[in-house]
Amino acid sequence: MSDTASPNPYRIYRTTWVILLIITLAMLAAERFHMPRFALVLFLLSFMMVKAVMISGNFMHLRHEHRRMAYLVGIGILVTSLILFAFLTPEAAHVLAKTPR
Amino acid sequence: MSASHAVPMDAHWGGGASPFGATWQKTMMWIFIVTDGLLFSGLLCGYGYLRMLSPVPWPETTLVFSIPFIAFMTFVLITSSMWMGTAVTAARLGDRKKALNNLILTILGGLIFLGCQAYEWSHIIHEGARLTGALPGSELAQLGVPPQFPASFFLLTGFHGSHVFSGLVILIITAIRTGLGKTPAQGVEMAGLYWHFVDLVWVFIFTLFYLLPS
Repeated sequence: MSDTASPNPYRIYRTTWVILLIITLAMLAAERFHMPRFALVLFLLSFMMVKAVMISGNFMHLRHEHRRMAYLVGIGILVTSLILFAFLTPEAAHVLAKTPR
Repeated sequence: MSASHAVPMDAHWGGGASPFGATWQKTMMWIFIVTDGLLFSGLLCGYGYLRMLSPVPWPETTLVFSIPFIAFMTFVLITSSMWMGTAVTAARLGDRKKALNNLILTILGGLIFLGCQAYEWSHIIHEGARLTGALPGSELAQLGVPPQFPASFFLLTGFHGSHVFSGLVILIITAIRTGLGKTPAQGVEMAGLYWHFVDLVWVFIFTLFYLLPS
């Protein structure tokens, strides 16, 4: 782990914490602005991913691990989730189309 | 018995070059995190499915929950993650006192989070939420909440809360052993990986369940 060799090895955690708090506050504030729904969803999902990358990269030290480890974790979870979602969405759309409202 | 059975295991699996450049403990911890991540990924996809199929519009979470309170829970969990990261680095640098102090702070953060979650659960149950839907005539039923809403809430936050609880048990054991000088730095790191994972999952639940507009 390379961050233990830096002059202040704890600084990365404080910096990450501050950035995560700012992002969280921005996400909460975004709800108050009357943004179009699509823009709001895109904003929230984008910042959710930024937070996830910051936690896994800086807190879990994934950016200091072997690149294969990062691929194992990132691709493993992301691809499986996308496949699952890709199977579920047409099914949901199909059921919705058949459900009388 | 053939001759090959008498050969020690090390001769068959000496380890050799580690494909992930990490110890087997850390590699296994990451593989565990991936599988646990898939569990939550399945739960969140299931939640998305239920939300899409909701027979009535998904309620605004601001009408059901206090979002500032949920934001406070998020703040507590993120802060505990910072303390945990500090504890991991302190343990690696051999600063046992700093590692222990930060582990205790992390435990405190986890306890506050769990307390907040217990309060939130009791509050929503008092409002009439059940795993199968809102009780007829309850405050929640008057809001027109679909049965999928409380079901998703209890499953997502319940699974997450159980992870926080098990994380706390691991942290308490790690803190005691660190105090006694029995936990190596890698032990603190393993506990830290699990705790950060719990924080990571909350980021998804917070955004997808509480913040996403209906």
